[in-house]
Amino acid sequence: MRAARRRVLAGFLALALAGCAAAGGRAPSALPRPVRTVLPNGVVVIAQEHRASDVVAAQLWVRIGGRDESADELGLSHYLEHMLFKGTPTRPPGSIDRLLEGRGGTSNAFTSYDYTHYDVVVPASDLRVGLELLADIGVHASFPPDELESEKKVVFEEMNLVQDDPERFLRRRLTELAYEPHPYGRPILGTPALIRALTRPRLARYYAKHYVPRNMVLVVVGAVTPDEVLALARASFGGLGGAPDGRPTLAPPPALDRSRRADVQRPEKQAYLGLAWRAAAVSSTDVYAVDLLTYILGDSPSSRLNQELRERLRLVSAIEAGYIASQQAGIVTVTARLDGANLDRAEAAILDVVRRVRERGVTEAERQRALVTAESSYAFDIETAEGLARSYGQAETTWTLEDELAYLGRLRQITAAQIQDAARTYLGDAEYARVRFVPR
Amino acid sequence: MLLGACLAAAPAAAAGEVVRVTLPNGFTVLVRENPVAPVVAVSLMVRTGTRWERRETAGISNFLHAVMVKGTARHGGAELAEAIAALGGKLSATGDIDYSEIRASGLARFWRELLSLTAELALEPRLAPDEVGPERDWLLSRIQKRRDSAPARAFDELYTALYGPHPYALPVLGTRESLERLDHAALVAAYRAAYQPQRMILAVSGQVSAPEVLAEARRLFGGTPRGPGTPDPVLPAPAPAARRVPVQMPAQQTQILVAGLGPSLDDPDHAAVKVLSTVLGGGMAGRLFAELRDRRGLAYTATSYYDPVRGPAALVLYLGTAPENAVRAEAALREEVERIRREAVGPDELRRAKGYLLGRYAMDRRTNERQAWYLAFYEIEGVGQDYPERYRTAVEAVTADDVLRVARRYLAAPTTIVVGPR
Repeated sequence: MRAARRRVLAGFLALALAGCAAAGGRAPSALPRPVRTVLPNGVVVIAQEHRASDVVAAQLWVRIGGRDESADELGLSHYLEHMLFKGTPTRPPGSIDRLLEGRGGTSNAFTSYDYTHYDVVVPASDLRVGLELLADIGVHASFPPDELESEKKVVFEEMNLVQDDPERFLRRRLTELAYEPHPYGRPILGTPALIRALTRPRLARYYAKHYVPRNMVLVVVGAVTPDEVLALARASFGGLGGAPDGRPTLAPPPALDRSRRADVQRPEKQAYLGLAWRAAAVSSTDVYAVDLLTYILGDSPSSRLNQELRERLRLVSAIEAGYIASQQAGIVTVTARLDGANLDRAEAAILDVVRRVRERGVTEAERQRALVTAESSYAFDIETAEGLARSYGQAETTWTLEDELAYLGRLRQITAAQIQDAARTYLGDAEYARVRFVPR
Repeated sequence: MLLGACLAAAPAAAAGEVVRVTLPNGFTVLVRENPVAPVVAVSLMVRTGTRWERRETAGISNFLHAVMVKGTARHGGAELAEAIAALGGKLSATGDIDYSEIRASGLARFWRELLSLTAELALEPRLAPDEVGPERDWLLSRIQKRRDSAPARAFDELYTALYGPHPYALPVLGTRESLERLDHAALVAAYRAAYQPQRMILAVSGQVSAPEVLAEARRLFGGTPRGPGTPDPVLPAPAPAARRVPVQMPAQQTQILVAGLGPSLDDPDHAAVKVLSTVLGGGMAGRLFAELRDRRGLAYTATSYYDPVRGPAALVLYLGTAPENAVRAEAALREEVERIRREAVGPDELRRAKGYLLGRYAMDRRTNERQAWYLAFYEIEGVGQDYPERYRTAVEAVTADDVLRVARRYLAAPTTIVVGPR
């Protein structure tokens, strides 16, 4: 799951997909700035021309996710994500997939704690088709009863699938343990009992309450002009009605201490270790320093954790650090795959690496490498329309578009001393949650 | 002199066009200028991989490449990692089925440094004896990880059962037994046999100038003398098990794979089998997803694979499902195989499959990393750089009768693997 604004745990060896903007708050020369418009009913439209290919990415972002669910609503945001593409009064089950795929398009959807989004990529000439579809499923999803029932089995399967994948399951358990009982620590798929008992009226109520224009952000990036996008967006989204309840501010998450430790017996022969520290929320000015700190600690083969734990001490097979900056809280994680016999030594070695950063700081060369890595991540993101659209959608729902565009420029202002300060502020010797997967 | 003459003859590429030059020593260079983003991607492929391996050398190509990235004659492992990171770059090397590959990518303004590090890795790897043990341990941990993962395990079991004596049966990572036997000397010998200029292809895609990249590639790779050549192996014919193979392992899900041997990339039937695979398991309107997942809730994963290779390619239908649904899911999957061999697909379904297939193909070729890969891959497979256009035409020409014919031919006696709890 891509809950992070900047940094995601996309697998132990995969690099983070950073969504960030170009130097000095400007988009690079090849790209014009995105145009942001708020329709009278509250729908935010972000459009950017991107002529890398003849396709257009259209994404509907909704300001609703796992954190908005009450105890008896767990999993509803995610369930909606599964149900929206199933149909509307004018679109029978199966027809949406056939419509998009027959045109060479694709669709995807994703649920996080802060947002849910629905993505399509279609040939630019089919933009109208794509936007009409997103507007239709945004408020007219019909939840056919048969589909609603059979989809329960699919969600149970998804729960099984996550459990069978130790790396995904570790990230999930670690997030839950680091936040419980805060809303960011809830199970995003819900629980089997709640899903089994889910009724159509319950889901429809949740949908009607939250899927309203003021919670919606439409991002369109591709081989179209912002004027074309806006005209089509007004036609398809401008007429949607409904008012939001307003989103509650969450209480701060609990402090972490040595009580947050969980060992899980697993069938795998290898062990997995995950540590999570409380870190800055996306709204904090500390995000830039924490971002660079995380790069330096564990982003690449040259990072400190890799060089120390994998190359020098040979304690782990793989290790990575990540920063998940959500809207109202954040965590820095370190995850590793290793021999079960090395669990204690690896944890001590990770803490040593962190302690050295706290005590002696980072080098200017490390700071420079982290900056160029951030610049490079952005440059690779803008290769595709959907990559760029995703960074804008995430920024608009959890941060601001302006912050996003100023990101790289601000990152460059951060000094080595500020990176060290971030380590001192957030990465304590005992103030972390720990999950270990131990071979049976 | 020669260099100047060749340079003058090197055509300048219009955006999107591919420049292809073979140097006198047999080394091939492909460059695609792509102004979209300030990045560059490099793929250096060499003709070695599973195809050249035997049971006792399984995984040697991948093992070799794991040790290669640990340093060059000029840069130690940590230095190399730092040098790459300073370019905003990534560098990795792995074995594969029909080739092995060194991949590099980074910011376009560093293209020269990136190419230079790629050349160092290919031509002057340190191959230090003391790196062999730790990298073996690392690979053994990855083999264990695959054994612990039900989907990965299922695919490994499938290839074993589907290919029999053919080397495509072997896992790219190798086996615990083979890796424990392979030593430093074996890796050095494998390196010498593989890294000869006439077996290597360099593809570059990004915000670069093709003539400049060609000149630099010539400087870096042109001086290596042509090698003695390594004969292409004579491969035994695959012998599919054509039966059901159950495998027990603890897991929350059961994996069901039904597969047949399909045609190779350059076979006239390739496009029709691609369409067949897409009708069954391509996208969310594919039959497996629409019928088995959406309509009946019998699986979460419901898809198909038919990845191109030079030899016979596996056509795999794949379900991941709850153990209590496994029997019904397997029966339903078999019924889908029977149905596609019995009835021709309708026109709408055929149109959807072709649209999806070609749309995905176009989308997959948008990034520079994928572009560099495709350029090198089509060269290594010997199908020519006009392949994408020929493939598109061939897919468009596929009829419902073609799909029926290839379904009957290639799914006549499928091999089934079921991996899950008792």
